[in-house]
Order: sequence, then structure tokens, then C-alpha cells
Amino acid sequence: MALFVLRRVLLTGLMLFGLVCITFVVSNVAPSDPAALAAGPDATRDMVETIRREYGLDRPLPEQFLRYVGGLLTGDLGRSIVTTRPVAMDLERFFPATLELVLLSMTFGVLVGVPLGMFSAVLKNRTPDHATRFVAVSLVALPAFWFGILLQLLFSVQLEWLPTSGRLDVAVPPPPFVTGMLLVDSLLAGQWETFGNALSHAILPALVLSFPCLASILRVNRAEMIEVLSSDYVTAAKAHGVSRLRVICVHALRNAMLPTLAIIGLRWGWMLGSTVLVETVFDWPGIGLYAVSSAIAGDFKPVMGVTLLIGLNFMIVNLIVDLLYGVLDPRLRTAP
Amino acid sequence: MQDFTIGRRGAIAAGLGAAGAFSIGGGAAAFERDGNRKILVFAGGQPVPVLDPHSRYDWSTRLIQQSVYDALAKYVNDPPQIVPWLAERWETNADQTVWTFHLVGNGKFHNGDPVDAEAVRYSFDRGLRMNKGVAWMLKDVLPPENIVAVDPRTVRFTLTRPMPSFLTFIPLWFIVNPKQVQANVANNDFGEAWLTGNTAGSGPFRMRRFEPQSVIHMDAVPDYWKGWPQGDQRRLSGVIYRIVREPAARRALLQRGEADIITEIPADDFEQLKGARGIRPDDHRGLTTFAITMNTTKGPTADINVRKAIAHAFDYEALIQIHNGAASLMTSPFPEQIPGHIEGPGIPRRNLDRARQFLAQSRFPQGGFELEYVHVQGLEDPRRIGLTLLNSLQPLNIRVNIVAQPWPTMVARGARGETAPDMVSVYVTPVSMDPDVIAGKYHTRAQGNFWGMHHLTDQQISQWVDAARVETDEAKRNALYADIQRRVVELQPEIFGMLANRRWLMRDYVKGFAYCPLRLTGEVDLHPMWIDAA
Repeated sequence: MALFVLRRVLLTGLMLFGLVCITFVVSNVAPSDPAALAAGPDATRDMVETIRREYGLDRPLPEQFLRYVGGLLTGDLGRSIVTTRPVAMDLERFFPATLELVLLSMTFGVLVGVPLGMFSAVLKNRTPDHATRFVAVSLVALPAFWFGILLQLLFSVQLEWLPTSGRLDVAVPPPPFVTGMLLVDSLLAGQWETFGNALSHAILPALVLSFPCLASILRVNRAEMIEVLSSDYVTAAKAHGVSRLRVICVHALRNAMLPTLAIIGLRWGWMLGSTVLVETVFDWPGIGLYAVSSAIAGDFKPVMGVTLLIGLNFMIVNLIVDLLYGVLDPRLRTAP
Repeated sequence: MQDFTIGRRGAIAAGLGAAGAFSIGGGAAAFERDGNRKILVFAGGQPVPVLDPHSRYDWSTRLIQQSVYDALAKYVNDPPQIVPWLAERWETNADQTVWTFHLVGNGKFHNGDPVDAEAVRYSFDRGLRMNKGVAWMLKDVLPPENIVAVDPRTVRFTLTRPMPSFLTFIPLWFIVNPKQVQANVANNDFGEAWLTGNTAGSGPFRMRRFEPQSVIHMDAVPDYWKGWPQGDQRRLSGVIYRIVREPAARRALLQRGEADIITEIPADDFEQLKGARGIRPDDHRGLTTFAITMNTTKGPTADINVRKAIAHAFDYEALIQIHNGAASLMTSPFPEQIPGHIEGPGIPRRNLDRARQFLAQSRFPQGGFELEYVHVQGLEDPRRIGLTLLNSLQPLNIRVNIVAQPWPTMVARGARGETAPDMVSVYVTPVSMDPDVIAGKYHTRAQGNFWGMHHLTDQQISQWVDAARVETDEAKRNALYADIQRRVVELQPEIFGMLANRRWLMRDYVKGFAYCPLRLTGEVDLHPMWIDAA
């Protein structure tokens, strides 16, 4: 098991380095002059040079790359030319908001998607199964920004049930900072009103973000459950008089969960990337919004930082999934 | 990325249509309260990443800076006037090289420190030495050592050469508290890192909560040294600037009463909401010029006759229609409100016969070429203007390739004549009333700036601009600017477009709004505003 973990960790490190190289190259081939943009439209050439020097953009690219990689080893992701703050500090500020949204969406996706997949598999080819699959396909197909705006119009403007955007009502002070996730922090502070307010703001963006994930989990879980339910050991369990509920929930579900876990891992990374759209529509101040506003301003250190953070997150989650595979199926621990 | 943005805007436009179908106007009047006082909520689409008044400025940043800081003078009214603020009066010598400002005696920073001459000297010195943000305005004429605090209430600036525009820049230089800033200097950074997220001002509001990507909450200073024009009873408890990026969401906030005032409103939204119950429009003639620059260094547009032909073929009235009538055509390269403007120096209007005559004199008498028109990705109006251009040039057998590019890419391409697109849509907002800020667009040194994407090289214009910059005789100066306008129109480096109106929508209980065209884009003066409702 230790060798298995070590191998996965080393592979993760290598992939991360590859990601650093790609993001650096892509950021620097883009035709843009971040120093000129930051200096403003009226700035003179020497003012632009002042900023270029300050941010090390006057150095040759290989030197910039080495400095960047050297900085990464000490946790320094460079400085944003727009916010003027260290990128790491900005990410510390914005990432909890994204994490909160993704966790909420993922939880909803798993809690609804897995039972629906089971339900659909058990009622295979009957009307509820068709209906569930139709909804699942529709949810995958819905563009997040379009669906988000529609939900805003319906639930915020028309029905006035939920807030339009943001994380809290503007006049509600945020709870004391512990994790940066308002739901968690308000609970820790015992501020129930703030918790309710934060939750009401999170519902729409979390729903929009979760639907494609929910649909994927549902479809994969359904397919695996159908296969598992027709396997010999399930037939044997039934023949031994094991209850139907136990066969489905214990014997079948555990084995059907392996591919579902893989989908959850993949969807985690997808969701982090998709926050770019959802956070823009709902003005959710997370790393997606940070990346978009930085990219628009040609400020590439934050874009690289966000890419690395999402990549790292994706790799860690997949590492965990790999390890869980080993837990769920001991044969995989010795696999090459 | 390109397709994504256009698609998203398209979907948002569809969403707006759906919004119109759902409801128009009405909604709750639910401004925020703080005890007996009210909090004004202003929703705009642009974040405020940096608070430091000497480091950065754009419309949203200035909205906050103007609220937290004071300057020696301030722009108010329409047409704009410069009125005394921290300075109660000023004087200059005959050649306008020595400016002396006398401070009010009661100015004080939020921490209680007095605003004295040393604070003024320090602030200008800091801005010049940092060489960022506002520095370009004065750096060529004002060495930091030429600023002297004569006594606690008098500060003197000695310029290295006459600069008639000096006073027009003074309202843009905000005064910081040297004690607070100096206490937070790290690595000789002039306290820049600290002032990015903190304030050290004397303005009518002080910072309460600063979340640059989402919410900025400012409290009114009850004993603000300048007082409150609406009276203490009416003054606000504070202002919340809420960053809402999508126009559809801003509209929804106003309709719901979650925002009291919004800006950056699409023309169709404005039309739908301006008559709605409980909502009041504010629609004013703007100072922001729209032009389509033409590359004068390469391709067909390097030929002056091609540029003239294009300018005479363009459908100018379409510009007004695209803005639902809320725009006025430019009658000169200078906006009418700018001193020195002259009417009708032969500026082109649509005339296809003349357009064909010009084309016949060019190297391309039959047309038959394609021009690239670039606009900022995601902006709907310049895209529609591109379609107008495409239609306008068809009779001349000139094809137009409309390209949407991100702002940084567009600016980077436009920095050099060899890479600059044939045509680019450009909006420019002057930061001061001085004609030099407009005339400078056509100086050779403007090449490399986004407004200089025409890459015009004309020694005559450059000499006139340089001469007018130091000319203290107003009549002579205006004569030079008249020559510049005529020459620019003659050379046609751009299609002189229109001045789009500046527009806000607000709940009808919002009072004290005072328009001044020199504020940038959606910027408003929050100091005199209040909420008139129970």
C-alpha cells in the first residue's frame, strides 16, 4: 500500500510540473502587455517600465520561468499586477468561496444522483427510469450561464424567494474568519441568521453547478447498478434469502460505486473549472471570478495560480479516489 | 474564449428579453437601514482592486477614492467647474509657473489629524516618486523638490515650464495622511501595499468593509469637515458599492430594490425601465468619444483617400439608432464641452458620391479589398457598429472582417503600426477639461497608446500640440487647437463617431444626484446624495 501511495504522489508531482510549464508558456505567448494595461491608458513609457521592472517582466523569459518555479517551491505564486497583492494571498481570500460552492454542489450531486441512479436501475426501462434519464440528459445539456440567468429571473426577480447574487446580503456582516466558508464560519460562530442568509445565497449557484455533475453520477451509477444487479453473486444473495433492500444497498451499491467514484473525482475538477461561469453569473467572489477578471486584464500570474490550484486540487482528489479504489477493491493495491 | 463570451452575451440578451416578459419595474423599495439612517446601495460591474489614490484610477476606483479622500479642488456641475475644496483659494504668477494654494483651516483626516500643507506636499511628492497612476499628469513639469510647504496652510508648486492645464489636474490628486502612510511603509514601497486595502483620507466616507471583488461598504463621517449639503438629518449612514458584473443581474437588483442605483446599462434595458414605476432615469450628454481608428501606416487605410472614402460612406445615423437616440454625433475631433472646440471643420457625413470620388483617387479605385475591424470582445455596441460599417462599405466594394478580441490582445496589437488592425473601435474619456488631453491623441507620441492605434505621424500636429501645451494666452491657445482640429479632420486618422450619453437608473427616492461629465463612465459624487423615504 505504501508503494502504491508513493507512486501516486510522485506521479502527481510530475503532472504538476507539467502543468506549471504549460501554463507559463501559454500565458506568455498570449499577445498582451500586462504592465501597460496596469499602468493605465495615460501612462508614459517610463511609467510602464516602472511597473515592468517592479514585477520582473523586464527579465528574459527563461529567467522569469526559473524565478517562478523557484517561488513556487516556497509557496510564492507571484504578484497580481491588478490587485498588487501576492497571488497566494488572493487565492487564500477567494478559494474558500469556491470550495464552499463546489462542496455544496458535489454533496447535492452525490446525495441526489446516487439514489436516483439506483432507483432508475431498479426500475429499468419503466416510466420513472425513462423520466429520470430524460431529466439527466437535459441537465447535462443546459448551459450553466443561461440556466443560471433563468433561475435568477424566476426565483429572484419574479418569485422573490431567493437573492439574486453575492454570498451575503450587503448589509449582513460576514462571520469571523475561520475557514473563509461562510456556512461553516457562521455555524462555528453560532450565527444562525447569517447561516440562513448565506445558504439562501448559495442555493441557486450550487444548483446550477451541481446539475451536470448530478446527471453524470446518476447515469454512471444507473449503468453500473444494472450490470451489478444482473451478476451471479447478486443472484446468489437473493437465492440465500437476503432482503431486496440489503442486496441493492449493500451488495450491489458497493461494487457499483467504483466507477461512480471515478466520475466524482473527474467532476470535482470539472466543477472547479466551471465555477468561472457560475461565479460570473452569480457574482460569487471565488477563484473563477478572480481568474476571469485577471484574464480580461491580461494579468497572468493569477490565471496561472488559479490553474495550478485547480490542477493540484484535481490531482489530490483523484489521488484520494485512487486510494479509495484500493480500499474498495484490495486487488488494485498491487496493480502496476 | 471568444465564442464563449459572445455566446454568453447572446444568452444574457435572451435572458433580458425573458426578464422583460416577466416584469418591468415596480418591485420593492428596500434600501438598507442603519437605525434611523439609510444606506445607499450602488451596483456597478467593475471591481475596485486597489484603493491607493496615487497608484491606479478608473471609474469605479475613483468612485471610492473620491468618497474616501479629498483633493485641493473638485470638479462639479455640468458644464464642469473646478471649485475649492481642501484649498480655499489659489493664485498663480503671470506665466503660470508658480501656483500657491491656501488651505482651509478645518480640514481633518479620519483619524483626527489636521490636513496641513505638509500632507499636501507629501501626497504630491509620493504620487510623483511612485511614478504610477496620476503621475503622468504632472511629472514632466513638477519635480518633487519643487513642492514646498510654506506654512501649515500654504503650499507652493513651482513648475519647470508654463502649464495652463495644471489646475485641471488638481482635482485628481487626492491627499493622504502622511503619518498613517509612513507608519506602514515596507521595503521603500511608499506604503503602497498598505494603501491597497486600507485608507488614510479625509473624505466624506470612511472604509468599513473592503472586499474588492464583491462589496465595498463605507460609513459616512458624521462630522465631515466640509459638512453635508443635504443637511445632517438627511445624510446617509453609508454607501455600499456592490459589484455585479452582469447587466441582467444589476437590472434585477434595481427591480427588487436590492440596489438603489445602477450604472452600465444596455440601451434596451434603459428604454424598458426608464418609465417603470418607482424607477427614475438619469440621462446626460457624455464626454466619452467613440471613434473607429484607421491604421495610417499599412494596408489600404494608409492611403488617405481610402480613409476619406470610408469616412464618407459610413452611416453615422446608425450610431444614434444603436444607442436608441441617446448619443450625439461628433462635430469635431474634440467634444463640444471641451474648451477650444470648433464647430464643423468639414467633418464627413454619409455621402456615397463623395466616397466614390475619394476611392477613385486612391490606389484602389475599384475597392476589392478586405479590412479587419476589431472591437473589444463581449461589447455589444461596437459589434453592432461593426455591422453598420460592413453594410456601409459594401457599395464601395470593400469587405469588412469583424473580429472580437480581448482588450489586452487588442491593445497589444495596436501598440505597433505593423501589427495594428486596419480599424479599431475606441472609446476615450478625457480625465480633465483641458483640450490637451484630446489633442494629445493625435501627437506622434500617442502611438503605442490605445487611442493612438491610428499611428498618425504628422509633424505639424505634434508641433501645434506641443506649442498649445505651454501657451498661456487663451486666445492663442484656442487658435492652435482650432488648427489641430482642422488638420486632424483633413488627415482623417479615424471615423469621428459619437458621444454616447451617460446613464444611470435609480429608485425614485434617491436624491442629490449631481451629474458632472468629467466623472468617468459610471462614477457619481456620493457626498451630496441621500434617500428621501420613510
